[in-house]
Amino acid sequence: MAELKEITRKLEEIHRKIKAEIPWEPVGPTPMPEIPDLRQWDMRLLKTYAPFYAPFCDLCCFCTYGKCDLTEGRRGACGIDIATQQARFVLLACLMGCSAHAAHGGHILEFLIERHGPDKKIDLGTFIELEAPNIRTVVGLKPETLGDLQIALEYVFKEIAHLLDSCHTGQEGSALDYESKALHASMLDHVGMEVADIAQIVGFNYPTSVADTPLVDMGWGAIDKSKPVILVSGHNPATSTVLIDYLREHNLEDQVEVCGLCCTALETTRYSDKAKIVGPLSRALFFMRAGIADVIMTDEQCIRTDTPQEAAKVGSAVIACLDKAMYGLEDATDWDPDEIVRRMVDNKEQFAILDSPKAAEVAVKVAMEIAPKRKKEWLSEEEAIELAKKCTNCGICEQVCPNLFSIGDGITEVAKGNFDLIRQQFLQCIGCGKCEQECPRDVPIFRLMQVAAGNETWKCRAGRGPVMDTEIRNVGAPITLGTIPGIIALVGCSNYPDIDDIADMVDEFAKRKYIVVLTGCAAMVAGMKKDKDGLTVYEKYPPDFDAGGVVNIGSCVSNAHISGAAIKIANIFAALPLRGNYEVMADYVLNRVGACGVAWGAMSQKAASIGTGFNRLGVPVVLGPHSSKYRRLYLSRKEEDDWRVMDARKREIVDTVEPAPEHLAYVCETKEKAMPMIAKLCIRRNDTPQGRAVKLNHYISLYKKYIGAGLPEDIHLFVRRDPDIPLVYKKEVRAHLQEIGWQPREPIGLPTLIGTYATKVPLDAVIH
Amino acid sequence: MSAVLPRHRVNVLTGTKSARLIEDAAEYADFIKKAKRPLLVIGPLLLASTADGKLLLEYALDIAKAAGIPICATAQTKGKVVELGVKPDSVYDVVEIANALKDPEWQGVKKEGNHDLVILFGIRSDLGNQSLSTLKHFAPHLKTMTLCKHYFPHANYSLPNFKKDAKWQEFLESLIANLKKGD
Repeated sequence: MAELKEITRKLEEIHRKIKAEIPWEPVGPTPMPEIPDLRQWDMRLLKTYAPFYAPFCDLCCFCTYGKCDLTEGRRGACGIDIATQQARFVLLACLMGCSAHAAHGGHILEFLIERHGPDKKIDLGTFIELEAPNIRTVVGLKPETLGDLQIALEYVFKEIAHLLDSCHTGQEGSALDYESKALHASMLDHVGMEVADIAQIVGFNYPTSVADTPLVDMGWGAIDKSKPVILVSGHNPATSTVLIDYLREHNLEDQVEVCGLCCTALETTRYSDKAKIVGPLSRALFFMRAGIADVIMTDEQCIRTDTPQEAAKVGSAVIACLDKAMYGLEDATDWDPDEIVRRMVDNKEQFAILDSPKAAEVAVKVAMEIAPKRKKEWLSEEEAIELAKKCTNCGICEQVCPNLFSIGDGITEVAKGNFDLIRQQFLQCIGCGKCEQECPRDVPIFRLMQVAAGNETWKCRAGRGPVMDTEIRNVGAPITLGTIPGIIALVGCSNYPDIDDIADMVDEFAKRKYIVVLTGCAAMVAGMKKDKDGLTVYEKYPPDFDAGGVVNIGSCVSNAHISGAAIKIANIFAALPLRGNYEVMADYVLNRVGACGVAWGAMSQKAASIGTGFNRLGVPVVLGPHSSKYRRLYLSRKEEDDWRVMDARKREIVDTVEPAPEHLAYVCETKEKAMPMIAKLCIRRNDTPQGRAVKLNHYISLYKKYIGAGLPEDIHLFVRRDPDIPLVYKKEVRAHLQEIGWQPREPIGLPTLIGTYATKVPLDAVIH
Repeated sequence: MSAVLPRHRVNVLTGTKSARLIEDAAEYADFIKKAKRPLLVIGPLLLASTADGKLLLEYALDIAKAAGIPICATAQTKGKVVELGVKPDSVYDVVEIANALKDPEWQGVKKEGNHDLVILFGIRSDLGNQSLSTLKHFAPHLKTMTLCKHYFPHANYSLPNFKKDAKWQEFLESLIANLKKGD
């Protein structure tokens, strides 16, 4: 009885927070879910998509009981086994990612509420009424003001504390429960990202309800180094937008060059189409070492930890603008700006200034003062050839390269006057600088590579924020029927294994009339390759969320608009209520929305939580080969696993045989393997015969193009009846099916996992 | 014995159980011959050629043929294998085959029972070492071996880091010769 009272009190509290009395939709079973509330859904997913662990370390060294050896079935001193330790590590990574975005959201929200007040209305334009699908679904709240976003964020912060607590020594003893917690943390990540980007769009007046955003210049060749240059680096636009404001207010926008690295670059170009994108994180050290930037302003996430040291080497000034990274610098936030400028110019001192307007003023004044005195010259090819002659190709550079290639081979060729190999290697370089650090001959590898890379410039479309409701209405039917073969979301970091891969994937799938959406560094590098006509994919394909469109959604935090688009399909197109109804949304997406995430170059913990958040929502994610170092995948075994679902129309459980989608988190060895795999992971049980034939056409054709011989080995698992077979491969597939004794089976009317496991969600909830 | 460092430092072992380094092709051949159900997993690095123009894949196919080992072709390797006139016994990506091998009840690529020796050849070294880690920790019912020119700490048996490709090729040729010898 006491327990019941406690539950009632808790529910009342949640209802108060989410303003349940506002009846825009009935409140579903899981508003503001806590750790146990979606656990049954997770366990159902993990039954089919079991965690696959590849331990990166055999030991645990988290506490002073250790180090503990976890090999050969041993448990640590606390009792933990190797699988559970991997899952704990994954949860920690997801929590880091979730915290980074949520704290970014928290900071930006505080900043914007200070500027506009908590009652500033959320208005995402004429074509977006469903403004916050993640917040509405997970939290159960329809946010109407910036102040409402704080309610969502407070919930996220509370859950993060509980999840982080569970990582302490001597608690959770189940790998599966840690996975459920990782899925929970990552779902929260999408809430935190959504808060951050909605706040930014509203508070900074970013583009919204528009597809055709400006094309902005990209590449270090685009930067006018004859002007004072200010580099903004990181993710949080509180720094760069205020900098732009300062320049505008002082009529200096045409006199000072602003350029950005990583997501801050994307944010800045959403605010000003005069700003330039240098490139992704892999270009950071190259650009810093070139000394082109007069002032570097850092904010947070994926900024290099050695920025002050690298900047000092080339005489660039540094201002640390956020508390996440203060680099041990003196905090000058309360000082007189002119005093800071004097010390930065005269003494070459670096400071932390945690006040955006002051940081902007100091950055501009310092840049204008020091720029005329600084030399900004690239090496010439002749100088590069001479420097390259120091290299003995000893091979140490290859040993320390995270992308496993030998830059020594490229430099040896440069010494002979041949830049072809090093140009190719530049595309594989993740820009970490470990090769140069280890070089026994002190060859300036980065400067040599920069000469090879040249000054080419590209175009990137500015991020456009949420997918419009009107677009969802147009594509909802073809996506769920399968006639638009899928939504491919290329997200996150872009460095591995070859920067060109992303542009190749975009081109391949846009050409085939998939919808291609991009965010973060992947969105940048998609534009860093030109076709034979000199066009990037942003110039070649329309910017619409429609078949054959290539859509830059925005920065890392804009990933929430991709998960949001999937939820919108369930809510707007299929008319399923979303409020506090996560399980129904995820079940719909898993079974009926042919979407596949591709985090091809993923490096960060944020990429881990973004991807795992997509997984909980039922979206599979393909990763590059190095991502096996994330330690965990979610894999099925297509021929052995249980592919039964409930046919909600007939109310009976049916064995579909088809692994659709086959995996939830999957590592591909090569781009060639990834191409057909991405197409395969867009297959859903809900496909109509026409839609399935379209999807199989692409699966087979990509398989033949990139793998070569014959038909995919598992094609029989995806052909339900003869009309599923694409016309162009009819004869070949029929012959193969006959040879292996394939039998036709009926497509499912309304496939769902609800009803196949213990859940509070009634079957009727998925029928629309 | 001091620990052997892998060629690529991202694969440095953080642990206690590392691969036994073997340089003698006859000893390697003995391990393969003694296995009841070995499996050769071949990856896309074998699509490259040696300095003298021989396709690395040919070594793999010669080894498979000499010892009668079934092949699992990963990534896009299948295309070239077929082009060379061989039908791979199975086609999985490396994480998929590792996932199946973890299950002691899996019947293997020949449906004759799970494999007792898995030989990795031509997989990118970070992914290869991670896949071997999976097998080391979660497939105690089998042994693993590598044929690449670098040391892989997570395998049971590994070749050393060959400084010269020619020495590695010599090893592979000697291995093939030893496998052909019979018992």
